[in-house]
Amino acid sequence: MMAVQIGLLCGLVVFSLLAVLLRDILKAAISLAVSSLLLGILFFRMDAPYAGAFEISVVAGLITVLFIVTIALTKAEGDVRESRLAAWIFPLFFVVFLVIDFLVMRRLLGQISSVPSSAEAGTFGQVLWKNRTFDLVAQVGVIFAGVFAVLALFRKRSKHE
Amino acid sequence: MIFLFIALPLVVAGILPLVGKVSPRVLPDILANAVFATLLAVALLSGPSLAGQGAGLGPLVFLGEPLGVHLALDGFSLFILIVVSLVGLCIGLFSVKYMEHYGHKAVYYALLLIMTAGMNGLVLVTDLFQVYLFLEVAAIASYALVAYGLGHDELEASFKYLMLSAVASAFIIISVTLLFGLTGSLDFASVGRGLRGLDQPLVSALCAALFLVGFGLKAALIPFHAWLPDAHPSAPAPISAALSGLLIKVSGIYALTRIFFKVFGLTPALSDALMILGVVSMVAAALLALGQKDIKRMLAYSSISQVGYIVLGIGLGTPLGILGGLFHLLNHALAKSLLFLNSGSIQMAAGTRNLEEMNGLSRKMPVTAATTLVGSLSIAGVPPLNGFWSKLIIVVALVQAKRFGFALAAILASVLTLWYYLIIQRRAFFNKPDAKWRDVREAPFLMTAATVVLALLCIVIGIFFTATISTWIEPARDALAEGLQVIQSSIGNQ
Repeated sequence: MMAVQIGLLCGLVVFSLLAVLLRDILKAAISLAVSSLLLGILFFRMDAPYAGAFEISVVAGLITVLFIVTIALTKAEGDVRESRLAAWIFPLFFVVFLVIDFLVMRRLLGQISSVPSSAEAGTFGQVLWKNRTFDLVAQVGVIFAGVFAVLALFRKRSKHE
Repeated sequence: MIFLFIALPLVVAGILPLVGKVSPRVLPDILANAVFATLLAVALLSGPSLAGQGAGLGPLVFLGEPLGVHLALDGFSLFILIVVSLVGLCIGLFSVKYMEHYGHKAVYYALLLIMTAGMNGLVLVTDLFQVYLFLEVAAIASYALVAYGLGHDELEASFKYLMLSAVASAFIIISVTLLFGLTGSLDFASVGRGLRGLDQPLVSALCAALFLVGFGLKAALIPFHAWLPDAHPSAPAPISAALSGLLIKVSGIYALTRIFFKVFGLTPALSDALMILGVVSMVAAALLALGQKDIKRMLAYSSISQVGYIVLGIGLGTPLGILGGLFHLLNHALAKSLLFLNSGSIQMAAGTRNLEEMNGLSRKMPVTAATTLVGSLSIAGVPPLNGFWSKLIIVVALVQAKRFGFALAAILASVLTLWYYLIIQRRAFFNKPDAKWRDVREAPFLMTAATVVLALLCIVIGIFFTATISTWIEPARDALAEGLQVIQSSIGNQ
C-alpha cells in the first residue's frame, strides 16, 4: 500500500514539474491536470473523499477544460523570448527545497503524531454548513472578486482611454 | 452590527454593476462613498462601546439552526477598521473625478469595495483559515485593480504581484495546515493554548517562520519586497493609495501582529527577527528611494521604509514600542495615501510622473503643493506633524529598551526620508514654472478636498496627539497585551 502511495506522490511531483517547465502550454496544462488527478486519488486513499471529488472535478476537470479552450482560442503573436535564467533557477530551488525537505521537514513532521479530534469534527455537511459557515461568506467574496476582475480586465475601453 | 463591515461592501459591490447600467457615473460614486461614510460613522460612533464590551458575534441562528459565524471586535481591530474606512472614504472621494477617464466606474468601485470587505473580514475573524480566505478576497480584487489601466506596465506589474502574492499565500496556508495538524483547531485562542500545551518548539518555530515569510511578502518587507515598487506605481493613483495606505498594513502587518501576539506570543527570538527585518527595510528602502526619478516609485520605496518603522516598533514588544508602531501605522496610512493621491493629481494635470520633468508646479497647483508638503514633512518626522510623534515614540521606546543601534538606525532613516522628500518638493514644486505648464490647472474640487482632509488630519493629529493616542491607540495596544505578557515574562526570566 505504501508503495502505491509513494508512486502516486512521485508522479504528482513529476507532473507538477512538467507543468512548470514544459514550454508548450497545452502540454503544460495537461500535465497540471494529470498532477491534479493524482492528488485527487491520494485524497481518496487518505480518507478525504470530498476533497478528492472537488480536486478531480474542479481542478483536473473544469479548470483544465477552461485552460484548453483558452489556449485553442488564443493566437500566438510573435515569438516572445523568455529569460534562460528561469530554466536554471527553478530546478535549483527545487533541489534546495528537496534537501531542506529531507533534512528538516521529515524530522519535524514526524513530531506531529496525529490530528487530535476537536469540536470541529463531524460529517462533511455538518462541518461545512454549521461549523464553517462563515467560510462561505469569504467564498462569496472570492467569487465576486474573480468575476469583477474578469469584467475589469476584459472590459471595452472607453473613448477617453 | 460588526457583520456590517463585511456584508455592506460585499452586497453593494454585488449590485453596483446593475446600478451602473442605469447610471454609469453618478450612482456608483454615491453608493461607494456612502458605504465608506456609513462604515466610518459606525466605527466611530458604535465601535468604542462594542469593543469596550469585548463584542463578539457568537454563533448565529438561521431557521432554528446554529451557524458557525464567529467575529470579534477589540481595540486593535476597531483601530484598523477606522483607518480602513477613513482612508477608504478619502480614496472614494478622490476617485469620483480621477477614475472618470478609466471608464466602467461601477466595476472599479465594486473591486474597491470587495477589497475593503476582504480587509475588514481579515480584521474581524478569529480563525486562521478565515484569515487566509479574506486575505485572498482582498488580494484577488487588488490584482485586478493594479491592472485596471490595462497598459503593458500595469499588466506586467499585476502579474508579478500575483505571482509573489501566491507564493506568500502558499507559505501562509502551509503554516495554517501544520498548526491544524498540531492542535486540531483553527481558532486563534485554541491554537495558542494548544501550542503552549505541546512540547514542539521546532514545529512551532517552523510555523512562525512560514508566517513571517508569507506576511512579510504581503507587507513587502525587505527582502520580500520585489513586487511593491512595480505594483504600486503602475496602479491608478487611488489604488496606489489603497495598497500603500491600507492593504500592506492589513494583510501584512495586522495579520502578522495578530497571529504572532495571539497565537505564538511574541517570544524574544520572534521579536529579534521582526526588529531586524524592520530595520533592514527601513534603511535599505530609504536608500533605494533616493535614486528614484518616478515620483510614485519613490513613494513606493518610502512605503517599504515606513513599514520597517512600524514593524520595528511592534517587534520591539514593549508597550511603548507597540504604541509607537501602531501610531505610525495610522500616520503613515494618512500621509502616504495623501501623497499617492497627489501624485495622481500631478500626473493628471502635467501628464508625467518623472520628477526631472516637473518644475515649479506649486504656482499652478497650490493646494496640491501645500498638501504634498504636509504629507512629506509628516512622513519625514518633522514636528509638530503626526509622523514626528510616532517616530519619536518608537525611538524613545528603543532607547528605553537599550537598543541603541536600532534607535540610531531609526534616526538615520528619518534623515534619509527627509532628504528624498525634499527632492520631491524641489523638483516638482519649487523653482520657476516651465512654459510647458502654461495650461496646467489645479486638480478638480473633490480630488483636492480628499487630499485637504488627509492633510488636515496629519496636522490635527500632530497637535492633539495625546488625545489620539489615549482614544484610539492605547486600546489597540492593550488588546495585544496577552501576547505582550509572554515576552515580558520571558524577558523577566532572563
